Amino acid sequence: MTITTQDLRGLITAISTAIAANTTMLNALDSQLGDGDHGTTISAGFAAAAEQMVVAVSPFDVLRLTGMTLMNRMGGSSGALFGTLFMQAATVVKEVETVSLKQFAAMWQAGGDGVMKRGKAAPGDKTMVDALSPAITALHQAAEKGETMEQALQAAAAAAEQGAKDTAGMKARYGRAQYVGERAIGHVDAGAQSVALMFSAMYNYWKGKDDGEA
Amino acid sequence: MAPRTKKLINQPATILSDMLEGFAAAYPDIVRLTDTGLIVRAQPKAAGKVGLVIGNGSGHEPAMIGLVGQGLFDVNIPGEIFAAPGPGRILEGIKAADHGAGVLVCVSHHAGDLMNAEMALELCEMEGLEKVEMVVLYDDISSAPKGHEPERRGTAGLFFTWKMLGAYAETDATLAQCKAMAEKIRDNTRTLSVAITPGTNPVSGAVMFQLPDDEIEVGMGVHGEIGQGRQKLVSADQTINTLLPPILEDLPFRAGDEVLVFLNNSGSMTQMELFILYRRVAQRLQEAGIQVYKTYIGPYATTQEMAGFALSLCRVDDELKMLWDAPAIGANVRIVQP
Repeated sequence: MTITTQDLRGLITAISTAIAANTTMLNALDSQLGDGDHGTTISAGFAAAAEQMVVAVSPFDVLRLTGMTLMNRMGGSSGALFGTLFMQAATVVKEVETVSLKQFAAMWQAGGDGVMKRGKAAPGDKTMVDALSPAITALHQAAEKGETMEQALQAAAAAAEQGAKDTAGMKARYGRAQYVGERAIGHVDAGAQSVALMFSAMYNYWKGKDDGEA
Repeated sequence: MAPRTKKLINQPATILSDMLEGFAAAYPDIVRLTDTGLIVRAQPKAAGKVGLVIGNGSGHEPAMIGLVGQGLFDVNIPGEIFAAPGPGRILEGIKAADHGAGVLVCVSHHAGDLMNAEMALELCEMEGLEKVEMVVLYDDISSAPKGHEPERRGTAGLFFTWKMLGAYAETDATLAQCKAMAEKIRDNTRTLSVAITPGTNPVSGAVMFQLPDDEIEVGMGVHGEIGQGRQKLVSADQTINTLLPPILEDLPFRAGDEVLVFLNNSGSMTQMELFILYRRVAQRLQEAGIQVYKTYIGPYATTQEMAGFALSLCRVDDELKMLWDAPAIGANVRIVQP
């Protein structure tokens, strides 16, 4: 099983649609700990990235264009971090035409490592890393077990969702939310929830795609 | 969802471009708005002088669009509301500020501002732009304890840096000298803020934080970040009595020191209140044997209609006093000696 450029374009578009549908929810989460505009910002970022997909002709192109568009369209911490996620993921698929599940996992691994390095955040800091890190682990495990892309994304989506939920119990140590201190406890991090939405959107896209083929 | 707080805008999506167009139309003798959304000087600095550039979230006006001009910044890269611009836009700003002697990228320490500036510098390296340096500035004593100064936020006290560094960059100072000067001013500046009523995010229309009618927040950041804690609303004199001692202890400022004093209006504070507050500052500094060289009172970094203020002190020597007195002619900040 391989993931084509067209699949990756479809995944980005599916993420854009899912994030757009949850704009208000993400804004509401962010208003507890930040500016209350994370949903608006990330929706605009992925919408702009999805528009770029027509000119993306390789897996590298898809990820690099998405990363650059998110960075420059969103700005702020979230633009830097979500942009870095895709820019670093792109480095793994330079000069390939299709992506294996193993490479797909390696791609997100590189992206996640880039986010942690850029943001100096680790798991447990109540950031997007808390959703990303378990999702990446799930992808690696699925690749090792020889599971299908659909099974891998299902596991990754569930792990990311649980990871996002778990941020409610954490005290922020990073970014603007750190200044909220103890008041942060009880609230889910909006960046982590966006990552969970990304993986569930990718799972739903792949499930629909397989259903279509069957 | 709560209704939007009243604001006269056209629509949330065009706040930034509408504001920049109006700003540039109002001050054509001082600034120009480029096609890529940069605010640059109407008359660029002479070749061979270091360029000063900053990218920042918008919504804090006059910071930083109002601080582009002679004796201040060369270029400002205004980001979306409360969000630093992305690295691609900062790179454009750096190129626009380059007059042959290099560019100093100034960063007010916030996670987004720092990460995007770091990435912009990586882009400069990839493009072979060599004479570009970054300096990270911070001043807010409430955001990290003494001994952890580099973890502190950049708030109102950075005004001292922009003013005096701006004057310094009009001389023949090198890029390395400009960076050292920025650090010198930073390391002599300390700030503490108070919020009385919250501001509104102009995009979402939502109030940024909740504060009971009889309480104030000490150490509030410029985006409504929580500070040291809430206290009961007391008199202006008592507020200064609370605010000034931790500032003096932190540097520390000592008897015999000469200082600049800045009272930043966070948005909807009245001049009346600021003068009442400053009266007590002047009294307390005199009691402490600290001499005030010059005072500046007014809005620099605002948080929409947030009511509150920041008290900032900068210890000065003869070199800094000369730089403070040099002319600064920005659209919203004008310092010219009588």
